[in-house]
Formats: sequence, C-alpha cells, structure tokens
Amino acid sequence: MQTIHRNPNVMWREEADALARVQEALDRGDEVEETGTSVLFSGGVMLSLNFLGTEIWKLCDGRTMDGIVAELLPQFDVEEAVLREDVQAFLDELAAKGFITYAE
Amino acid sequence: MQNEIVLEAPLTINWAINNSCNFACRHCYSRTDTHEEIPRDVLLACLEKVAKAGVFSVNFGGGEPLLHSGLLEIARHASGLGLRVSMNSNGWLIDRETARALRDAGFTKVGISIDSHISEIHDQFRGVAGSHGRAVAALGHLAEAGITTSISTVICRINHTAIDDLVIFAREQRAGQLNFHNFKCSGLGLSHKDELDLTPGEWQEFYRRALAAKEREKGLDISLDDPIIALLGARDAGSLVKGSVCGKLSLNIKANGDMTPCGFIPIVIGNIVRDDLKQVWRDSPVLEKMRNKKATGKCSGCSKYEDCLGGCSARALALTGDLNSPDPHCWA
Ligand code: SF4
Repeated sequence: MQTIHRNPNVMWREEADALARVQEALDRGDEVEETGTSVLFSGGVMLSLNFLGTEIWKLCDGRTMDGIVAELLPQFDVEEAVLREDVQAFLDELAAKGFITYAE
Repeated sequence: MQNEIVLEAPLTINWAINNSCNFACRHCYSRTDTHEEIPRDVLLACLEKVAKAGVFSVNFGGGEPLLHSGLLEIARHASGLGLRVSMNSNGWLIDRETARALRDAGFTKVGISIDSHISEIHDQFRGVAGSHGRAVAALGHLAEAGITTSISTVICRINHTAIDDLVIFAREQRAGQLNFHNFKCSGLGLSHKDELDLTPGEWQEFYRRALAAKEREKGLDISLDDPIIALLGARDAGSLVKGSVCGKLSLNIKANGDMTPCGFIPIVIGNIVRDDLKQVWRDSPVLEKMRNKKATGKCSGCSKYEDCLGGCSARALALTGDLNSPDPHCWA
C-alpha cells in the first residue's frame, strides 16, 4: 500500500489568525476556499494552502490515501468519491513540486 | 487549494547580531549602523520570540558574524528552536575547524562574499590583502564540512561586465548558488555611489547578460534579487511576491534589536527586545506602505508595474526620499 510523506525539508506553519477567521466563517456556513490558513516553503517555492489543503497536508505523515480520506470525511460535508478525487489531485500537485513523496 | 495569504509573521529574518568587522569594504551598508549589541541572554530570549512567532529561518549577518564571540551558542540555540540557520561571512575566519564547528552548531548554509574572480581586485575593494584567498579557502572548508555554500557578489563598477568569469569561478569553487546582489545606495554605498553605481543603461546590459547566464547554466543556481528585471520579462511565476520581498516575506534586525524593513532601509519600526514581532509585522505603517505601493512618475504608465511595483524601495527612498518613486536603476 502506498504511503504519503511530507518532505522533511519543507518549512511550514499554520497562520493562527486566518485559521480563527476560517473557523468562524465555517460556523456561519460561509465559503472559506479562498482563504489561506497555512504557508509552506521549500527550495525557493512558497505555497499557501486553504483550510482543506492544510488538513490534507497535516495528514501526510505516512498514512495511505484511504487513511487520509477516512480521516477527512467526517469533517467535510462532501461525497467520498468527490473528496477522494480532490485529495488525489492536490497530492499529485504537491508531489510534482517535491513537497511530498509516495513510498511503497 | 492554494491561495493568497497575508503572512502573520516574516518567513525569514536577516539578523545583524553584531556590527564589528575586520574588513573595510567600500560598498558596505552597515558601517554607520549601531554597534550596540543585545546582551547574550536577551538575544537568546529574542530568538525564542522569533521562533514562537513562526519564523522559518534566520540569516546572520552584520558586521562579520564570526567576530561575535557567542555565534556558535546563538546558532545552536536557534536551530534547537527549529529555526533554519544560515549566515553571510567574508570567510576570513573560516578554517577547517571553524567550518566543522559551524556545522555542529546547526548552520546549513553559509554565503561567502566575493566581489571579483580576480584576487587583486577583490582584495583592494575589500581593503584587506589576502582576503580573496581566504574566502576561497573558506568555501572549500565549508563544503568539506557538509555545509551548502553560496557566493555573494555585490554588482557594481568593478565587476558588472565579468558575469561569465564570475560564473566560471563559482563553478570552480563548487558553490551551489551565485547571488548577484544589486548595489544599494545605503551607508558607504551612498557615499561611494558615484564611483561604484552603474547607469540605468549599464544595469540593463548587466541583467540581460546575467539572465542569459541563469538560463544557460544548469546545476548552478544564479539568483538575481531585483524586481526591475520585470522589465526584461523575467519576473513571473517563479517570483514569490510582486515587487521586493522586504516587509512581505522578510524583516531585518540590527545588533541593538531595532527592526527595519530591510538592511538597506534605515527606518526603525520596532525593537525585538521590547515589541511583539507579529504586532509590528501586522501594524507597522512603514510596512503597510511598502506592501501597498503607489505608482508615481514613469511607473504610472508602465506596463510592468504589476510585477515590478516600482522596483527596489530602498534605492528609491535613499535617492529621492520617497519609496514610491521609480527605482533609480530603472532604464524604462
Ligand atoms: S517604470 Fe517603474 S514599474 Fe516600470 S520597470 Fe521602471 S521602476 Fe518598474
């Protein structure tokens, strides 16, 4: 089974104020897709991730794809197949940039 | 899932832990800066503040950081807090033993200042005979200790046409990176401006050739930290932010703890001993102005403004008194 690992050279942090704003917005049922809640930096490349992206990133700790989806599903109001597709696309993008690696 | 983000703290801090130096460089920006230093225990506590705010990395400079007797302890403390630690040095004091000690203290990257591939020119410019030879030796010792090296070259009248030679030299020294720093009119740089700075046309020619070298050279990272290269179409997806990074990704701290947007802008916006870093970063009116520049003069009609944002704010401020003025190096 393929496991997913954060590249240890990536420096990253969550932005507390942005996260608090997103949590308030989520409570109100507002859209939060556009708001960055974390920043990642490696090899001269900077990424900022929204709430879902950040949650996925934090789960790249050696879990499998199934493990990540299972963890996220109860938190987000979304069909499993849709979530799986989103997570896969996002992870592929991170892998292409060298921010995560897949291991067998 | 990527977004625009307003950072709540800098990603990196350039920290002049001291301002003593064993050299007498003609372009130095910091000779006139404060020589007052923060006591060691207070400095260590300040590093904790910085790490807690979420800063990723600190790059020690000065002055010559190796003249600070506590450098290794400070670096060890910083890397123990999870900060990525690097520094800029003139290389004079780095022998094999020091290089190993730097590695053991947590340094992952050290930049050595070398202004010419020709030793006589470098030595004369830096004011110390034999400095080129020792800088070159330092690169070797650092690499042997497993520290990533870079060469930092301040582009000015003595070297602006020697790009290809500098590239060959960097390759011979097995440096991972060659940083072409654009000349800043700060400190002695301002006093020696007429003798050292290039004309806008010469900057254009320099950047044209430097970008060609960057394109051509594989395996050597040539870095050009100047927003006005937008004029040559060179700042697009690869750039982290529009305009300059100062006050957007990075901040500068002086030996006495004073914070400035960058090492070349002499406006104090707070002090790391006294103030809350995140609050200064968020609320400083100077940083706000730097993050929301307004096009003036020829920038108003310039199609590159969105990427360039008027170029280097430090240069504009030093020579015109207004950081919104067009960069004096701009050839548009
Ligand atoms: S005119 Fe202004 S915005 Fe345009 S390239 Fe020159 S400095 Fe940059």
